[in-house]
Amino acid sequence: MSPPPSVSCTPAGDHVWEAAVEKPAMEAPRRTIIHVDLDAFFASVEELLDPAITGKPIIVGGDPQGRGVVSSASYAARAFGVRSAMPMSMALHLCPQAIVRRGHYREYGRYSRQVMAILREYTPLVEQISIDEAFLDVTGCERLWGHAEGLARTIQQRILEGCHLPCSVGVATSKLVAKIASGLRKPRGLVIVPPGEEAAFLAPLPVEDLWGVGEVAARRLHDLGLHTIGALAAIPKEALILAFGNQGATLYDHARGIDNRPVALEGRRRSVSNERTFARDLTDGEELQKHLLALCDQVAARLRSLGLQGRIVGLKLRYHDFTTVTRRATIDRPTDLSPTILQQARSLLHATWRTGTPVRLLGVSVSGLVEGPARQLGLFGDDDGRWMRLSRALDDIRNRYGEQAIRRATFLEPPGEDEGPEDTSPEL
Amino acid sequence: MKVSCLQENLARGLSIVGRAVGARTTLPVLSNVLVATDDSRLKLSATNLELGINCWVGAKVEQDGAITVPARLFTELVNSLPPDRIDMELQTRTQTLNLRCGRFEASIKGIDAQEFPIVSAGEDGRAVSVEAETLRDMIAQVTLAAATDESRPVLTGVLTAITPTGITMAAADGYRLSVRSTGLTVPPEAQARVIIPARALQELARISADEQEPIKIIISPSRSQAFFRLSNIDLVTQLIEGTFPDYEKIIPRSRTTRTVLNVGEFLKAVRLAALFARDSNNVLRLKVEPAGDLAPGRVVVSATSSEVGSNVSELEATIEGEPIEIAFNARFLADVLGVLDAAEVALDTIAPTSPGVLTPVGGESFLHVIMPMHLNR
Repeated sequence: MSPPPSVSCTPAGDHVWEAAVEKPAMEAPRRTIIHVDLDAFFASVEELLDPAITGKPIIVGGDPQGRGVVSSASYAARAFGVRSAMPMSMALHLCPQAIVRRGHYREYGRYSRQVMAILREYTPLVEQISIDEAFLDVTGCERLWGHAEGLARTIQQRILEGCHLPCSVGVATSKLVAKIASGLRKPRGLVIVPPGEEAAFLAPLPVEDLWGVGEVAARRLHDLGLHTIGALAAIPKEALILAFGNQGATLYDHARGIDNRPVALEGRRRSVSNERTFARDLTDGEELQKHLLALCDQVAARLRSLGLQGRIVGLKLRYHDFTTVTRRATIDRPTDLSPTILQQARSLLHATWRTGTPVRLLGVSVSGLVEGPARQLGLFGDDDGRWMRLSRALDDIRNRYGEQAIRRATFLEPPGEDEGPEDTSPEL
Repeated sequence: MKVSCLQENLARGLSIVGRAVGARTTLPVLSNVLVATDDSRLKLSATNLELGINCWVGAKVEQDGAITVPARLFTELVNSLPPDRIDMELQTRTQTLNLRCGRFEASIKGIDAQEFPIVSAGEDGRAVSVEAETLRDMIAQVTLAAATDESRPVLTGVLTAITPTGITMAAADGYRLSVRSTGLTVPPEAQARVIIPARALQELARISADEQEPIKIIISPSRSQAFFRLSNIDLVTQLIEGTFPDYEKIIPRSRTTRTVLNVGEFLKAVRLAALFARDSNNVLRLKVEPAGDLAPGRVVVSATSSEVGSNVSELEATIEGEPIEIAFNARFLADVLGVLDAAEVALDTIAPTSPGVLTPVGGESFLHVIMPMHLNR
């Protein structure tokens, strides 16, 4: 099969990254990973639903009067400085003429499924990591679909023609590099990092671009004078392990573009987890309890959105000295409800935490997953059913009006810097 | 102490008391087994303070005495010895048990028998007697519904009511309820209503596997312990304090559909479906279709998992009442069908969200209630 024609279907922003470096010997069998990321997805769908607003600044997000935040902004709006997760009030201050939409989440889901279906036509090895992003492992597909660059272009074109949605694509030998590559030339970008050139490709980029480098880690790296991934890559592995513990070894690999995580199949998800590194170490039990509650709420909501329930609750504690403890408990039936998860997580915390020891990171996971949404009814009253209905209602409100639209009274104090957990990330 | 016995008798005795040995205990003597002479027999005893078991094995006693030795070491040692005579002698001064069997010799350091808690057996006068086989059946049918997680301790127990008309046992884990009763030939001297740990009853069923004689049940006057007396074994268990839920209220008194199925066929279909239900929260669907003008009544058993596929079985059934579609946990159904002592089972249902009731056809003494699974979305 000949490679597909490329010139006629090349969107703007193509870029094949080249670097004059010697190729290091490859040890693991070389993979070809494609990362597909839909551009300004919610805003793009809004344009499809209402063609009259196409090209105008569009913001999808919560209530501008309250504490709503931006969940998606069109590129026309981004030109004014509007960014995701920015408070709506600030976004409208920057771009008063923006068209604000509360979000048609059912439509987003519908378009997302269409896109994912297109991706699965090319390989069954598709890992959807969020509503608008997915990895494809196309290793060895050259014979079938031509070389990776052509395939990436074909996919980009298919999504544009079939769903009328723009996307950016990154091609590399690992998930890490492919994801960074797709984010580099948005919108409608196509960035290919040839095998062996990962480290050189990453070198000039800021350390924040690396997966797993959050606010806290970035600040520590900056304090050490490390601002680019290239600078980080020059640090010996031992020194990074000394400074960052186990995470140091991962940083060392990632800075070189080494990331062996496989593209995980749909439905093979083994756990849903959420963890939070605190800007300052916590020593107060009540504060920890509050964060634990927030984490359980998030994990439970994530389980529900995935239609999964789990039987094993895990707790992860990292102390100030980076020693990390994980504990798990099994419950008698699968759940996707926060109170049930919290009950287990609390007793694990109670049994695990050495009271007063500074805690750097707290995490909650649920594994032993089964497909929902069936629920065992109880003989003695149906508390779970009431929680279920309440949780569903909360999920609906948050989907429509933003995470902050409705909150537990526990979280009603003025938000501090630690408020709320980070986004849930799948643990594979 | 100087005593001789056969290796196979000692090994069997140790396996009987073994489950009562304390694990991870802070009291070292509880991980030991008591070896004591008792008239012309050897008494073995173990307890974890919740559950205690005494077992007597035939022996030739030359000199009385008692010692406790580490249960695990002693059991593994005896199990490894040839099927021969074992001679044991206690060195009182050093509290060491010397043991000889054929050409093997060992000496085990023990702890003074005085430190071992007395596993007492109650008085026969208050006992009620139940055929061993009947009691084993009751235990199997009821304990499967007891809770295994400790969040509500009373639900890990079996409510046992001794009344002038008989004994009734009931257990419920919050999702299902098992009730089994049996008549008594001799009315009991005293009535009782206590909660016996399901684990202790399962242990009783295990150690009474070979028992031919009726088993005596004695509830201590203080209502804190239950004793079970077999020919050569005593089992003592602490009782669970608390109030057992009023299970009578849970049992539905009406039905809209009665489905009568062959137990063996139904169980086979459930086990097949369970393979496919494993990844989807064990959901098994039953579609009950009463007989039409031409078609006989049938039940369609099915399970689906998006990952592994799906499975459908069709069963003939005698159906009275309305058609219904209802979902149950496949494991719960397999559990109860596995202990039904009848050729046919009747499943009574009212609605997809109301409890289902299973009873053996032709038997009034067993009843099992299962809450269905609710399919959202």
